Amino acid sequence: MLQNLVKSVWVPMKPYYTQAYQEIWLGMGLMSLIVYKIRSADKRSKALKGKIFASSKGGGQKTPSYFLRTRCPMA
Amino acid sequence: MNENLFASFAAPSMMGLPIVVLIVMFPSILFPTPSRLINNRLISIQQWLIQLTSKQMLAIHNQKGRTWALMLMSLILFIGSTNLLGLLPHSFTPTTQLSMNLGMAIPLWAGTVITGFRYKTKASLAHFLPQGTPLPLIPMLVIIETISLFIQPMALAVRLTANITAGHLLIHLIGGATLALINISATTAFITFIILILLTILEFAVALIQAYVFTLLVSLYLHDNT
Repeated sequence: MLQNLVKSVWVPMKPYYTQAYQEIWLGMGLMSLIVYKIRSADKRSKALKGKIFASSKGGGQKTPSYFLRTRCPMA
Repeated sequence: MNENLFASFAAPSMMGLPIVVLIVMFPSILFPTPSRLINNRLISIQQWLIQLTSKQMLAIHNQKGRTWALMLMSLILFIGSTNLLGLLPHSFTPTTQLSMNLGMAIPLWAGTVITGFRYKTKASLAHFLPQGTPLPLIPMLVIIETISLFIQPMALAVRLTANITAGHLLIHLIGGATLALINISATTAFITFIILILLTILEFAVALIQAYVFTLLVSLYLHDNT
């Protein structure tokens, strides 16, 4: 299958891929860099939002009702 | 209603697997490879259309620009066929996705700019300042020309996305309105149906025109840089 692929695709397209489209390969590299930057920024902002949300929920802080239950045996 | 309106633009999946790649590759089976000297009717018509388009589009280019002939013809065929297939009911159109159109626009635009800087560096730099600019305006105009250069791929992608998406949305809305009006007033529903038919004819034209405009602009950017 690979031999057929090389014969039918690579051999006729070789001058295009190796010479004519050199600048387009560079353009594709630029586009993949932009995609990577956007994705990593999105990941970072989502992680930051999750951190802010978790800390605003009061992670580890004791509520007033906790003190009422532990200090006052009648409650 | 709001969720239904944009549901057709969501990336399709079948049994949890994304099938966007299959949909993007589908138009290629509508263009069979010519294997004989005299082919069947379908291939002959396609060859005639490609020859007509390529003659018209490549007339302005020099030898360096004509090495892009295959790329430009593939581009117009792909965008045209994808847009036309998107007019089928309940189909997904890849060119409504901004990611797809940016994926086409940025490498091609960057390719033309890098070609210009590589083979004609002085002429490419000279494009940043129009001839006959008064001296006090030079700094501002260089900034404006730089911004207009970097806007080009964004404009290419957004133009195609907006045109195709807007057309699909209008068809969806007017089709929904026609259905809703059938029980209320048959005459109004009939008029809305006529509008829907005219809009569909317009969308056929827009599908082909947008493919031509995208390819023509890439060809013009290439011509400026070769």
